[in-house]
Amino acid sequence: MTTGSGDVIHLESLTKFYGETRALHDIDLTVRAGEVFGYLGPNGAGKTTTIRALFDFIRPSSGKATVLGLDSQADAREIRRRVDYLPGDIALYDRMTGRELLKFLANLRGGVDWNYVEQLAERFQSDLNPRIRVLSRGNKQKIGLIQAFMKRPELIIMDEPTAGLDPLMQQEFYALVEEVKAEGRTIFISSHIVPEVERICDRVGIIREGELATVEDVHVLKDRALHQLEFRFAKSVPPQVFASLPGVRDVVIEGTTLNCTVVGSPDAMVKTAANYEVVGLTTREASLEDVFLAFYDGDSPNAA
Amino acid sequence: MLRNVFLKSLQEQQRSLFWWVIGLSALNIVTILFYPSFADRPELNELFADLGPLAEAFMGQIEDFTSPEGFIDSQLFSFMIPLLFVAFGIFSGSGSIAGEEERGTLDLLLSNPLHRRQIILEKFAANLVAIALLGVGTWIGLVAGALMVSMDISWLRLAEATVSSALLGATFGALAFALGSARGKRGTAAGVSAAIGVAAFLLNTLVPLVELLEPLTRISPFHYYNSAMPLFNGLDPLHAFALVAMTIVLFTVALVTFERRDLGIG
Repeated sequence: MTTGSGDVIHLESLTKFYGETRALHDIDLTVRAGEVFGYLGPNGAGKTTTIRALFDFIRPSSGKATVLGLDSQADAREIRRRVDYLPGDIALYDRMTGRELLKFLANLRGGVDWNYVEQLAERFQSDLNPRIRVLSRGNKQKIGLIQAFMKRPELIIMDEPTAGLDPLMQQEFYALVEEVKAEGRTIFISSHIVPEVERICDRVGIIREGELATVEDVHVLKDRALHQLEFRFAKSVPPQVFASLPGVRDVVIEGTTLNCTVVGSPDAMVKTAANYEVVGLTTREASLEDVFLAFYDGDSPNAA
Repeated sequence: MLRNVFLKSLQEQQRSLFWWVIGLSALNIVTILFYPSFADRPELNELFADLGPLAEAFMGQIEDFTSPEGFIDSQLFSFMIPLLFVAFGIFSGSGSIAGEEERGTLDLLLSNPLHRRQIILEKFAANLVAIALLGVGTWIGLVAGALMVSMDISWLRLAEATVSSALLGATFGALAFALGSARGKRGTAAGVSAAIGVAAFLLNTLVPLVELLEPLTRISPFHYYNSAMPLFNGLDPLHAFALVAMTIVLFTVALVTFERRDLGIG
């Protein structure tokens, strides 16, 4: 890989060992200016380790990381000045109020417009007066989000940003991400939630067991999205009608109930099922593991 | 109070520091209030002399326990005051970096445009100021007690002995700070520092009983704290410097180890 002028984050063979344990192995990754990049992987895959190396909290065993063209180790302070960060599982100063904490961080960073902080607090319906100790997990997360957005930095790095947020606040967060993107700023988000990444990201890197499995445009991920469907019919149905449909796999019929997995659009499956009398329908999003299987499965998924 | 890491760290300690100041100054006042009943009983000197070397360990090598200096040195500066300064130093030193790291707030703090060494410097400075404030409180308690019982003692000498205690506290504070910065474990930093403190105290007080080993006391901070008897003779510049030098060395250890390691990996 070569570093283009538009590269905001550039990882080159980034490797990290903790003793004998390999946390990251040869990660090569480029995040471009102005995109929302999703770093997708199950818990423990190495997402947080990667992010903490970008801020020089941990040092790579080999390889290197540059952020905004700056070396993660030599220019750590400059990176921290220009990039804001939402830690995963964020811990805040419990004895401070939200307002005190944000004032403190604003003082350390400089250049924070307090009106914007108040606006963000209002949008997230975050009460800044109580001590942080008494706040719920979701309300602590909101304070973490406010501090990450408040300086309007050119790059925001967020580790599991929607953890603990209720659905309404998740929507507010997605809206804010859109605004940041519209301003041409860059966001790097780690997540283990596939629909979330599909919803807000332009490109996705999938990491598993410390290795970067793939980097794709998000529509590729969407094309390979897995849906688990369960149809309950009035009468038993012939399995061969469904098994031969494009993208449909693992068809199992028990009595009048049909279970299957659909890769990509479920359109054909739904239309075919409509030829019979459907009395019940259940869908669930596939787990991340299933998505991986879709990526690594021998037979190429057929996106309808 | 929220302008920088130094002030924020000082503010974090404000409540506990307040109670330490109250406790130490109250201890001083109450102890000194007993002085009048000692002052007119010179036979106590013989009693203490008979107690032998172990008592000397905890009450110092005092000739006359019934003099103001002898009383305050034996009752306060030989054991209680240095013990409490060392305890406070270890308490705040182990809580600084290791405390932030264990609570998980170090990531948030370090996400700001600061060098690691700047955080070390500001947090350590906050601890030193806290120890200095505890010193002021201690001295005020001593002076207040002396005034209450009309004790004839130099306020300057009281201050010099207090400074010596504060330097001892700073030395052990720096030890706990360095261990906490190097490893990020608050309990380990405090425990190891306390163990070293006890060993250093015993080394200084018990080893001299065996004449051959006497030079060994030179490695104990307690030797530089009170062997020159600052309450009687004023602060010994060389001894004070020895404590300052140990503190600087330990601070440097904190700087170097914190600069080099991976943070917050439990």
